[in-house]
Order: sequence, then structure tokens, then C-alpha cells
Amino acid sequence: MSDKEIHEDQKYINGLLQNNSFIIQAIYDKFVPKVINYIKQNSGSAPQAKDIIQEVLITIYNQAQQKGLQLTCPFEAYFFLLCKRKWLNELKKNSNKEVTINEEVLSKDDDAFTLASETTVFGEQQELFNTMFQKLGDACKELLKATFKIKSMEEVAKSLNITYAYARKKKSLCIGKLTKLVQESPKFKQINTY
Amino acid sequence: MEEKDFVLFDNYLQGDLAEDEELAFKNRLESDGDFKKQFMTYKALSGYLEHTLSPEASAFTQNLEQISQAHFSASEERVDKPDRKGFNYARLAIAASVAFLIGIFLFNQIKTPSYTDFNTHEPIELTLRAGNVKDLVEATKAFNNKDYAKANAILEGLLVDDPENVQLQLYFAITNIELDQFDSADAMLNTISQGKSVYKYRAIWYKALSALKQGETEEVKALLKQLPEEADDYEQAHRLLNKLD
Repeated sequence: MSDKEIHEDQKYINGLLQNNSFIIQAIYDKFVPKVINYIKQNSGSAPQAKDIIQEVLITIYNQAQQKGLQLTCPFEAYFFLLCKRKWLNELKKNSNKEVTINEEVLSKDDDAFTLASETTVFGEQQELFNTMFQKLGDACKELLKATFKIKSMEEVAKSLNITYAYARKKKSLCIGKLTKLVQESPKFKQINTY
Repeated sequence: MEEKDFVLFDNYLQGDLAEDEELAFKNRLESDGDFKKQFMTYKALSGYLEHTLSPEASAFTQNLEQISQAHFSASEERVDKPDRKGFNYARLAIAASVAFLIGIFLFNQIKTPSYTDFNTHEPIELTLRAGNVKDLVEATKAFNNKDYAKANAILEGLLVDDPENVQLQLYFAITNIELDQFDSADAMLNTISQGKSVYKYRAIWYKALSALKQGETEEVKALLKQLPEEADDYEQAHRLLNKLD
């Protein structure tokens, strides 16, 4: 992707990264109505559209933060494709009906298609990480939450009333446990990208 | 995988290994496939936790939820409107004429101040730090010609390129009041009035006008009282306050 020019719509990605309310509002005003229409025309409701859109925006935000997402196509095409796929997957999950994902207008080398595929895989990986995180014991969850919220291990140790060395060790063992849970999951093999 | 390997992963990621330890670690990554696989997952999970559990991420999620909520409740209202089509227009016309006559009567009797008594906006003269000059000219024309829907759409586009431009924010908020999009207008005016720009007091004045248009008299009074004497709009604020009392 690095040899391709960044699209001017990167401003939407940057706006999400900066938690810029105005940009988020602009995304809702400009691009969301089309997604709502699509979902409503395909057996969905407005509240379902609301959830799909929020989940997609959170995935884009996470990918931008963790992987430095760079947009090489218009935001609208990328965003619409992501929401559409997520919705069709949702339909597939909740019904036994066969749903065909028809992407007739896009060829394989289309930037929007490639980027949306990367984001979809990234989103699935995040979902897997989240599911496994929930399976951790309460002590691990508490420690990890405190670690990444407070950001200083000294303070974390103090707040949990344990020593600094023990807090550090415990943190790595908890992430280690999570590593094992993730790797043992059958889904891991399908979406492992690194 | 042993516990000490996870501790080693963490020390490496935190940059806490001595030079020789770090070299040994990198060599092991090269030669031990299993070790590398575990490390890559550990690293991805650390990155995941660091970002998703951060206060920034939860602030983003909260903000997104609010904007989304506002957007969806506004579009529901828009969808509800066509349902009223079945109304009897003849009756509506009679009711409207009666209301109009009563309105004129009351207006002459009491002269309750209304938004339209005060919505004489200063002509817009915009400056841009980024974005399209043509759009700026169009927005200016539309605003000064009272075509607020058009001005609103262009200003929205301009703000995407220049989101920190307080002047654009203010005029965008004004068009939103004119278009009865109060949530959006009030949120933006709140931000401006809490900032340090020269538009700080004007934003309070417009917050009051927005409340006036929404019929929130007590809110209007409270807002007007916040304006200090040096505010440009102090005099008309005073005038409005007197009429309301």
C-alpha cells in the first residue's frame, strides 16, 4: 500500500483518530444515510443499522490506531463496503438462509475492496481477542484493565496493593494466558495475519 | 511455553533487556519458530489491550455513541412526519386562520419577543485556513441571502477541511438554528462558548436565541444573564431580557 497515494478522504480517518466530533458528525450526515437505506432494504431495521455502523467505525478507529490505516480510496466506498459485508454476515449468522455477497461493481484490484478486506480481517481478529479476554479470570482482567488505563505500573501496583515487580510479572503472565487462549481457538488459524 | 518466556516478551517490548539479552532474544526469534509465533501473538495482544483499554478509546466510544444516538433519533423524527399526511387540510386551513388572527391579536396586545425579532445576523465575512475558496464565496452568498439550507451544506463541507475554524463553526451553528436542528447547533455553540475565541460571547447570545426559538424562556434568561457588559450583543440581550421579564 505504501507506494499508493493517500486519498484526500484520509481526513475522515484522522478525524476519527482525534475523536473529532465534527468529523464524526460529518460521517453520519454524509455517509450513514446510504448504509441505513441499504440495511433497511435488506431485512434490517434502523436500530440494527445503528449497531452495525458503530461497530464498523470502532473497527476503523482501532485499525487506524494500531496499524496506521492509510486510505487510498474514497471513504464512502470503503465505509459502505464494510457496513454492507458486516450486515450480510450478520444475516448469515442469524438465519439459515443462504446469503450471497454480491460485489459486482468491484474488481479484485479495487483499492476499496482490498482495504475493506484488510479491515474486515482486522475486525475479526479484534473480536476474537475480545472474546478471549472475557474468558480470562477476574484477577487478570482487573490487572490488565488497570495497567492500560493508568499506564504507569508503579501506580497500578500501588492501587492493587501489590509490589511493582509482582505487578509486572503478573501482567506478562496474564497476557501469556491470553496468548494461549487465542492460539488454541479454531478461529485463530483462519484469520492469523502476522 | 514457559512462564519465564512471557516475562521475557514483556521485558523486550518494554525495552528493559540489556544489550546482550536483547541480541540473544532476537537470535531466538530467528531460530525458534514456535517462540516467534508465540511472541507475535503476545505482541499483537499487547497492542490490542493497550489501545482498546485506553481512556482515549473509551472517550471515542462514548462520543460515537452520543453522536449516533442523536443522528438516529433525528432521522426517526423525520420518518415520522409523513404519517401526518392524512390530516384534513380544510380543517387545518381554518385552524391556521384562526390561529393567525389570534396571533395578530396577541402580538398587538402583548408583543412577546420571538426569535424572528432578533435573528438579524451580522453579514458573514469568512476567512479560511484550508479548503476551497469557491465554496467559501458560495457559503457567504447563501448565508447573506438567507438561504440557510444551502449555506449549512457548504459550511459543513468547509468545516471538514478546517475543523478548528471557530468562525465557520459559529456560522454553521447559526444555520442549524435557522433550520431547527437545535441539537447540533447547541452542541457546537457550547464548545465555542467554553473556548477562548473572540466568538465566545456571541456563542452565548446565539445559545439564548436557540433556546428562544425552542420556547425555553427560563433557559433564555439564564443564558442572557451570563453576557458581560463588554459583549457585543449586550445591549440587545438586555432588551430581550426586559421583554421577557
